[in-house]
Amino acid sequence: MLKGVHQKLEPQESPAFFVRGPSPFSRIMFFCALSIVLMAVDSRLDYLSQFRQTFIAALHPLEMVANAPSEWGLNIRQYFTAHSRLLIENQALKQQAVEHNVMLQRLATIELENAHLKTLLKGNAPMIPKAILGEILHMGRDPFSNVVVINRGSQHTVEAGQAVVDAQGVVGQVTRVFPFSAEVTLITDKNLSIPIQVERNQLRAIAFGEGKSNTIDLPFLPTSVDIKVGDKLVTSGIDGVYPAGLAVAKVTEVRQSPDSPFAKIISTPIAGVNNHLQLLILSMPTPAEHIEAAPASVGDAAAPPATATTSIPPAKPRKEKPHASR
Amino acid sequence: MRPANLTTVLLTLIVALTFQLYPWSGQGVILRPDFLLVITLYWVVRAPHLCNVGVAWFAGLIVDLSTGSLLGQHALAFAFTAFLALLYQRRLVLFNRWQLSVYLFALLFVERTLVLILKLFADNENPGLSYFWPVLTSIILWQFMVLMFGAPTRPRH
Repeated sequence: MLKGVHQKLEPQESPAFFVRGPSPFSRIMFFCALSIVLMAVDSRLDYLSQFRQTFIAALHPLEMVANAPSEWGLNIRQYFTAHSRLLIENQALKQQAVEHNVMLQRLATIELENAHLKTLLKGNAPMIPKAILGEILHMGRDPFSNVVVINRGSQHTVEAGQAVVDAQGVVGQVTRVFPFSAEVTLITDKNLSIPIQVERNQLRAIAFGEGKSNTIDLPFLPTSVDIKVGDKLVTSGIDGVYPAGLAVAKVTEVRQSPDSPFAKIISTPIAGVNNHLQLLILSMPTPAEHIEAAPASVGDAAAPPATATTSIPPAKPRKEKPHASR
Repeated sequence: MRPANLTTVLLTLIVALTFQLYPWSGQGVILRPDFLLVITLYWVVRAPHLCNVGVAWFAGLIVDLSTGSLLGQHALAFAFTAFLALLYQRRLVLFNRWQLSVYLFALLFVERTLVLILKLFADNENPGLSYFWPVLTSIILWQFMVLMFGAPTRPRH
């Protein structure tokens, strides 16, 4: 009997003064493990993109609410814009349209001629990319990445991998698509590279984003390379993503250091991402066909013709350069 | 101090999320306070039975999803910060407003640093020192929360 009482008293723990569920430590351990698993899955596997898309679509109404004040602000500002300013702008645009029309007439003849020459050479038929007009929603909420979010998504037939341009040049590439919006990684992003060509001498290379400094880098080119400050870099079109001949950047600095076999070539993007709201999302008609055709027969007729946005001279047969193999 | 109820907690969190989703631009992106984190921490300190490490984790996950960053980065940082707040929660409610602000400064700084480390591991670039500005703006937001919903600390007798 006594022994029984003793047993009853001994193992008793002091009761918790407040009932608080599991201890903070066990909770944090559980959630730490969960986050680490999530991070590993998200970075290495592709399982979570559907989940992300669904969530972003669900968040859309809240996003609209959040966007409303700035939209009202814009509308009010537009309402009070001086009438005279609009008239001046209209005048300038009309003049620009006339100039463009003249250029377009020339382009049409050249394009026709080009297509004819290509058929003579048994090259690819000209490819004119289709375009969707989109508007920038916001400049990305993450200060780490060079991303803009546009208001066109999979509901508007936008796909990941499409090139995005503005009136001046290439802006970037669609990297993530949500139902009503899409994420465009800018060409200045560290993870984006773009095959380019120097407009002056048709030299081909690959340009890489520099990240924070808003510049583009042309690495691994020898110090003797023929690139000067002021050279315009255009897309070469050999990747099947960017149509050939779109302006990418202007070379701002060419540095040669004695301890490096490579020149340091820095250029700044031509497209004004910070100045414009409207962007064009281009889609190449048959990317797969284009990819296999382009590197194989660069010599005869691989380069697609100039698109409506550019005035590159008709493609001349050119020699294979060592940079193209990279 | 009015007792907090679950509806208030959820409503304030949704409002915080809306502010987080606002299209901040220019200086706003740099100075933007961590709305969701501050509101979560406020409720963690004030009503740990309603808002705990789990809620903080979910708030962080939503931030991850809306910023398009790697899933789990902000979630881990938010949960860890909530844990630190929870660890000393019974002492925190005895602090006065300024002592609490100092502790909050430390908490927010830890969260920023943690996210920075995780981001750098995930191959993001270093954003520079301006990355820590939101710590200060977040404290201002906290004072605003105190004005709106009362101090989470016990009233002095």
